[in-house]
Amino acid sequence: MKRNWIRTIIKGLSFTSVMFVFQACYGTPQDYGLDILVEGQVKSKTSGLPLKGIKVSESHNLQHEITDENGKFSFYTEFRDSLSFQFQNVDSVQNSQYADKDTLLTGIADSRLFLAIMMEEK
Amino acid sequence: MISSLKRYAFRKFKTAEAEIHELNYLFWECTTRCNLNCIHCGSDCSKDSVYRDMPADDFFRAIDTIKDIPQNFTVVFTGGEPLLRNDLEFCGKELRKRGFKWSMVTNGHLYDEQRHISLLNAGIGALTISLDGLKESHNWLRNNTKSFEKVVNAIELAASSNRINFDVVTCVNQKNLKELGQIRDLLISKNVKAWRLFTIIPIGRAAQNPDLLLTDHQFLELMNFITDHRKNKEIDMKFSCEGYVGKYEPLVRDSYFFCRAGINIGSVLIDGSISACPNIDRSFSQGNIYTDNFYEVWQNRFQPFRNREWTKIGQCENCKEYKDCQGNGLHNWHGNKQNVLVCHHKKIEKTATILNKTK
Repeated sequence: MKRNWIRTIIKGLSFTSVMFVFQACYGTPQDYGLDILVEGQVKSKTSGLPLKGIKVSESHNLQHEITDENGKFSFYTEFRDSLSFQFQNVDSVQNSQYADKDTLLTGIADSRLFLAIMMEEK
Repeated sequence: MISSLKRYAFRKFKTAEAEIHELNYLFWECTTRCNLNCIHCGSDCSKDSVYRDMPADDFFRAIDTIKDIPQNFTVVFTGGEPLLRNDLEFCGKELRKRGFKWSMVTNGHLYDEQRHISLLNAGIGALTISLDGLKESHNWLRNNTKSFEKVVNAIELAASSNRINFDVVTCVNQKNLKELGQIRDLLISKNVKAWRLFTIIPIGRAAQNPDLLLTDHQFLELMNFITDHRKNKEIDMKFSCEGYVGKYEPLVRDSYFFCRAGINIGSVLIDGSISACPNIDRSFSQGNIYTDNFYEVWQNRFQPFRNREWTKIGQCENCKEYKDCQGNGLHNWHGNKQNVLVCHHKKIEKTATILNKTK
């Protein structure tokens, strides 16, 4: 605690706020961005069984993930207080009967999100 | 008066930082395999590395010794070329599970859309890509005719993400010095927000090639280029923290020179050695993850990094700038460590004196 006080005082005295924003000469910038871990599971509304091969994407960027054999997915994405996800059948044989689904979430405050998605048949 | 006060406060700050030595930034030399054969490489990496990639579990065992994880602690994947590892995303996710952030330095050759997405999904937060010139000069340095095309594609992808804190680095040399203005324009056109420039020090393959090294006059030209263009805010341009640059100190970067190697920056090298920045002479290693407790080594060793008095030797011995410079960047100390390899300050002063005499 005492050490942090020393740092704060000296930081103030040196008239600069960038002293802790450093990078090694051959390294990367530091990561001060916020992101959110989005996890979830996609199931069939009819059978209740998990759906494999569903493409889960976030509208504002290129990111997507495909659900595994347990219908589960997990990825980090940029934090925003509202996020929009699409669930699409990209395996035209196995899941062809399921309609694509959109989900909009607002008022997000946590850095972790769990989505339980039920996909309906067309 | 204000400038002197700032410098004084900064010296005190550096002393306090060395005493606290909080580990904020950890390089992981996860591979020494590389898909390029760059003519300036300081690490002597190659396609057929003598080392196998470090198993992820070995690295995790080492970092799991860290107690009291510092705020904003970041693991930086470096190499070799980290993208040659197929388990990079797994490693990234494991780090995030532990509450660590992670980032990567890459030559961009394998950075395509699919990899961009999978790295973002795994929680990457920062990225550095090397661009060393316009097409001809970049491909010359990278020793590969396709490299420019690939790296520009990588830069476009990285710049398209709001999530990644991303910058481009350029090794300034004889072939690209006159192109810097055009490189800057290219980066701005690709929506790049930050650009870091550094010079090549004569180690590794670079020592054999004079085209890679700037003359003192060219180095001064570089300082003036950065100083002039930093006034324009279109891109955050800066000189890297590779060395102390005297009167250019407040002008070419956001803060005064501070080599944080071993103070806030550590590394786990390919053979398990525990050190600071990977470009520092390997004889500075302080231990090995296969025989020592990583965090105990970080906490209790590293004296040559935290007390730099030993660098007061050779041309540094009687230098008036020593109190601000403290022996320059530690990667400038090699071999028997009796003299600093490069003195950026001396380059500047020598050239300025010659220019003054010719006026």
